[in-house]
Amino acid sequence: MDSSSSALEPLFAFLSYSVSQIETTFYKIPGSHVVARYVKSSHQDDPGRTVLEILLVIFAIRTLLQSRTRADSGGKHFIQFSEKEVDELVEEWTPEPLGQPLSAEEEADLASVPVISGANGPKPKLLNTGKQVLNLASYNFTGLAGNKDIEQRAIETLRKYGLGSCGPPGFYGTIDVHMDLERSIADFLGAESAILYSQAFSTISSVLPAFAKRHDVIVADRGVNFSIQKGLQISRSTIRWYDHNDLKSLEEVLESIEKDRRKRKAPLTRRFIVTEGIFEKDGAMVDLPKLIELKYKYKYRLVLDESISFGTVGRTGRGLTELYNVPASQVDMLIGSVANGLNSSGGFCAGSRIVIDHQRINGTSFVFSASVPALLAVSASEGINILRNTPSILSTLQENIYAMRAILDRVDCISIPSHPASPIIHIYVRYASPNTLQLPTSSGKPSNPSSVQPRDPPVFDIEAEEHLLQDVVDEALAQGVWVTRARRLRGQELLEARPSLRLAVSAALTKKECEKAANVVKAAAVKVLSRRK
Amino acid sequence: MPSNIALNPPTPTKSMFKRAPMASAKSYLSALSQADARARAHGATPTSTPALSLSSSVTSSSEDTVLNDAELDNYDGLALPSVPPTSEQVFPTIHSEFGHCSNENYRYRSAHPAGKPLHNLEETDPPYYILITTYLSYIFLICLGHLRDFVGKRLTPAFYRHLLPYDGYAPLNSDFDSFYTRRLKTRMDDCFSTPTTGVPGRTIMLLDRSTTDYNITHTLTGTRTRGLNISSYNYLGFAQARGGCADAVEEGIRRYGVSTCGARLEGGTSELHIMAEALVARFVGQEDALISSMGFATNSTVIPALVSKGCLVISDELNHASIRYGVRLSGASVRMFKHNDMEALESLLKEVISQGQPKTHRPWKKILIIVEGLYSMEGTLVNLPVIMELKKKYKFYLFIDEAHSIGALGPHGRGVADYFSVNPRHIDILMGTFTKSFGAAGGYVAGNKILIDRLRLRAHGGVYAEAMTPPVLIQVVASMASIMGVSSPVPQLKHSQNSSVSSASTIGLIESAEHHPGPALPSQLPPWMDLPPMMRDGSEGQTRLRRLAFNSRYLTRGLTKLGFILYGHSDSPIVPLLVFHPGKMAVFHRMMRARATPIVVVVVAYPATPLVTSRVRFCLSAAHTKEDIDTILKACDEVGDALDLKHMPGERWPLQRIMDSAVELVNMRDDE
Repeated sequence: MDSSSSALEPLFAFLSYSVSQIETTFYKIPGSHVVARYVKSSHQDDPGRTVLEILLVIFAIRTLLQSRTRADSGGKHFIQFSEKEVDELVEEWTPEPLGQPLSAEEEADLASVPVISGANGPKPKLLNTGKQVLNLASYNFTGLAGNKDIEQRAIETLRKYGLGSCGPPGFYGTIDVHMDLERSIADFLGAESAILYSQAFSTISSVLPAFAKRHDVIVADRGVNFSIQKGLQISRSTIRWYDHNDLKSLEEVLESIEKDRRKRKAPLTRRFIVTEGIFEKDGAMVDLPKLIELKYKYKYRLVLDESISFGTVGRTGRGLTELYNVPASQVDMLIGSVANGLNSSGGFCAGSRIVIDHQRINGTSFVFSASVPALLAVSASEGINILRNTPSILSTLQENIYAMRAILDRVDCISIPSHPASPIIHIYVRYASPNTLQLPTSSGKPSNPSSVQPRDPPVFDIEAEEHLLQDVVDEALAQGVWVTRARRLRGQELLEARPSLRLAVSAALTKKECEKAANVVKAAAVKVLSRRK
Repeated sequence: MPSNIALNPPTPTKSMFKRAPMASAKSYLSALSQADARARAHGATPTSTPALSLSSSVTSSSEDTVLNDAELDNYDGLALPSVPPTSEQVFPTIHSEFGHCSNENYRYRSAHPAGKPLHNLEETDPPYYILITTYLSYIFLICLGHLRDFVGKRLTPAFYRHLLPYDGYAPLNSDFDSFYTRRLKTRMDDCFSTPTTGVPGRTIMLLDRSTTDYNITHTLTGTRTRGLNISSYNYLGFAQARGGCADAVEEGIRRYGVSTCGARLEGGTSELHIMAEALVARFVGQEDALISSMGFATNSTVIPALVSKGCLVISDELNHASIRYGVRLSGASVRMFKHNDMEALESLLKEVISQGQPKTHRPWKKILIIVEGLYSMEGTLVNLPVIMELKKKYKFYLFIDEAHSIGALGPHGRGVADYFSVNPRHIDILMGTFTKSFGAAGGYVAGNKILIDRLRLRAHGGVYAEAMTPPVLIQVVASMASIMGVSSPVPQLKHSQNSSVSSASTIGLIESAEHHPGPALPSQLPPWMDLPPMMRDGSEGQTRLRRLAFNSRYLTRGLTKLGFILYGHSDSPIVPLLVFHPGKMAVFHRMMRARATPIVVVVVAYPATPLVTSRVRFCLSAAHTKEDIDTILKACDEVGDALDLKHMPGERWPLQRIMDSAVELVNMRDDE
C-alpha cells in the first residue's frame, strides 16, 4: 500500500504542477480573467446552469464528430435483423436489369437516325444511301459550317494551342482565346460581361442553380426546354408556372405571388422569370419588350434562354434584343448557344459583371469541367466577326424562312406553331375532324400556377402522330430532303411536347433550294397524312 | 535582403541568364555540334530509344524541330534539354511540349502486383501545432473578414450594394453566402484562374497579371512567364500542337469542318462518331460505347437515365460534383460511404439490402455503386479487387468514373481494370473523359450493347446536347489508336505461309484481336488517317505510358523521402502534397512560380478539400523528363524548408541521393 502510494507521488506532483502551469498560462492570455470571472460567478449563481452548459458542449462535440455517412440504425423505421436473416435477404434480393432492352419500336427509332459521311453542311452526303441531301435537320442557321475562313483559323489555332485545354478554367484552363471570345460575345450583344461554358445544354442548367436557391421564387413558362427544367429541379426553388408564351398569364401569376407575399409578410427573396427567346419546343417567340416591362414592374430578374434565337434573328444575329431593339443589359442573364448560333461548341451567359463573376465560382458545370478546346473558341470568335461584317447572312436566312413559310403555311393537313421569323419551323399534324381539334376549350379560368399542368392540356396521341411524322420524314428523305422529327425524352419531360416535325432553315441554302425543300415536305405531308383514316 | 517569400513573380533579369544552363540558340547549336563530334569520334551508336527517336524520318520531322528564336529563348532552362541530343537522336516532339528523354531506365510498368491486396493508405497526421495553427489561421481570417465587413458596410456601402437588398430586389448573392469567396479566396486569387496561352504541355505560358485592388480585379501586364507545367491534366502528354495527332486533326478539319451542327439523334451524327465509339469500346474492353461532348455532362446526363425513384445510389463521399449533380437529377435515393472504406461499404450494403426502401421496406429496384477509378483531389485508387468480390455477393451494379484513370493507369493504359487485371466486362458501366489523357475534350460511357443503346435514346445528351465536334473526335481516335497500336490487316500474312497453317493462324489472330487489351482494328480508324509508324505500331504509346508511370512513382517516392506528407497511391499521376495552412498554400504557389525555372502548380483548399487539409496538387505527365522531376523535387525541398512543410516521420534522404537513385526508388515495392 505504502509503496504504491509513494510510487504515485511523483505523478500527483506532476499533475498538480501541470494544473498550476495551465492555470498561469491561461491567465496570461489577455481577457482570460474576464472569462474566468464570468464562469465562476455564473456557477455561483446557478450551479444547474453549469451542468446544462457542459451537457450542451458535449452534445455539440458529439454532433460535430458524428459521421455524415453513418448507418441510419437509430431511425424509427429501422428493423433489427440477425446476421443470418441479413444474409438470407441479401441472397434473396434480385435487382432489375440496369437497362431494359430496346423494343422493336425503339430499335427502329434509333436506326432511323441518318449518319453523315464527311462534312456536315447544307448538302451533306448520308452514309447509308451515299446520296447528297438538302439538309433541314441540322442546326446550321447562319451557314457557317464548312466556312473556309473558320477552318483556316481553327487549323492555325491547333498549331499554336494544341487541341484540348487540359484543365478547368480555375486551374490553368483559361486560355487567352476564351477571354477573347467572352469579350467579343459581350461586345456583340452589348452586355457588360460574358462567361463561356463548354456545352450549350449544360449552360442554363448550371446558371439557374448558381443563383436560385431554396425559398427563392422562379416563375417559368410551361413550355421551357429540358435543360431549363433540369436547372429548375437542381435549384430547389419555389417554381410557379405560367401558360406557354402567354404574358397575360405571366402577369396574373406575378400579381398573385405579390399578393400572397404581402399577405404572409414573407421576407424578400430572389425572384426570377425564366423563359426562352424562341422556344426550342415549338418555335414560338416571346414578346420581349412586354416581358421587360413586367420584369421591372414586379421587380424580377429575367433569365432569357436564347439558344435558338441568338445568331438567327435581328439584323446581324444578335438575337431577340436586336430584333426588338431592347438593350441587352436589361436582360439580367442572357443565355445563348455557341454551338447553334456560331457553329462551334459550348454555351454562354451574358450579363453584368457581378452576375458573371459569381458564376465563375458557383456555376457548377463551369467550375468542374474542362474549358472549351481553343480551336473551337477561335472558330466561334471568327463566327461573330463574320456575322458582324456580313448582315446579308441574316437577311438571306429570313428570306429563306419566309419562302418556306409561304409554301408550308398553306398546307391544310399540318399546322405550324412557330413564329414567322423563327429559323426552326415545327410542323404538327392537323386533324381534320373538329372534335379532336386542339384548340383549348377555353373555360376562362386560369391554370394553377403551382402545377406545371395547364388547366386545359391539349389532347394528342403521341404514338400515332410520331408514326405519321416519321413516315413524312422517310418520304422526304427519299426525295432528297433531310428533315427530322423533334426528338423528345418521352416520360422525362415535365410536360409532354406535342410530336412535331422540325425544319431548321439555313442561310447556306438558296431561295430556290428552300422552295424545293418546302415543296418536297409539303408533298410528303400531303401524301402521308391523306392516307390515314 | 529580399524575402524568399516573394509575392510577385520577378521579371526575368540578367542574373537568370547566367544561371541558365544554356543561354541562347547559338550556344545550343554549338553544344549540339560538339556532341555530334564526340559521337562520331567514338564511332559508337548513341543510346537512343527506338520509340521517340526516329532517325529514318529526319526530313519529315524537320519541320517539328524547326529552330526559331522564340522556342530557343532558354533563359528559364525549359526550352532545351540539359543534355543536347546527337544528330542520331531525332525527337519528333518539341521539348517544351513533350520533353526529350531517351534513357530507357526512366520507364516503369504501371500495374498492380497480382494477388496482393491494395496497399492500405494511412493518412499521416501532422504535428498538433500545425493543426492548431491551421485552425487559428482560419479563425483569424474569419474574424478579420467579419470585422472588415462590419466596418466596410458602414464606411463604403457602395462596395456592398450587390450583397444587400436594393430597390425591392433581394441580393443575388448574400454577404453570408459569399463570405468565404470574398474574404478568404480573394486574398489568394492570384493563384487561381491564371490565363494561359499556347499548348498546356510540359511547359505552359502564363499571361502575367497585376492587381491594384487586392485581387478584386486583375489586369494583364502584357508579359508572359513560361513555367514547368505540373498542373494540367495531360497525363500522356497528348497536349501537342505538333505530331501525328495534330496532323490528323488538321487533315480532319479540312475534311469534316469544325462543327457537327446538332444533337446526335437529330442531325449531328457523323461517321466519325460511329468509328470513335467502336474504338472507345475496344479500348476499354466493353461491347459498346456512347460519346458525349462534355465530360461533366457525361455524368450529369447519363446517371438519370440509369437510375430513378425507387433505386439506390451508393456513392463514395469524395465523388466528383458531376456525379452528385447527376444523382440529384435522377431522383434516386443516395447513401454515401467513407472514402474507399470497403468495410463501411459492405456494412452499408448489408443494411440497405436488408432494410429495403425507407418506410415502405420494399426491395430496391436497383442498387448502383458509383466510385471513381482515381480520385482527383486525393490521388487514391479505388479498391477494385474488393469491390468486385462484393459485387459477386451483393449483386449491385457498378459504375466507375475513370475520368482520371483512363489512359493514366494500367500497363496498357486501359484504366483501373487494366491496372488490377480485372475483366472490364464484369463492370457494368465504365465512364471516362477524353480531356485528361487524350488531350481532347468530352467523355464516354461504355457497357454492354443493350445498355448503351438504351442510353443513346434515354440519356439527355443524345436528344438535346450538341454532338462532339469532328476535330475533337479525330484527336480522340488518333491518340487512342496510338496507345493501342493498330493491328496490321490479316490477309497480307496469308501469302507467306502455306494455306492450312495460315488459316489457323488467321483464326488465332482474330481471336487474339478480340482479346482485351488488344490493338485497334484498322477498320476503326478513318481510312485517310495516316499515323506515323511509331504511333501505328503502338510503341510511342507504350513509351508514353511507361514514362508517366516512372514519373508518378519517382515524384511520390522522392517527395516522401524528402519528408513531405502526401496522399494517394504511388502509381497515381496525381500527387497531393499537404500544406495545411491556407496562408502557406498561396505562398507555396508564389514561391514556385518565382523561381528561376518557374514551376506552375495547382493549390486546392476548402471547400474542395476538408478545412484543414489544404494541399498542392501535382499532375504528372509523360511529357516530363527525369530532369524535370529533379527540378520539382529541388524546388519543393527548398520551399518546403522555408515553409516548414516536412513533417513525415520516417527515413529521409538528402536531395542528391534521391536524384541519384531515382530508378531504385521507383522500383521499390510499396511495402518497403
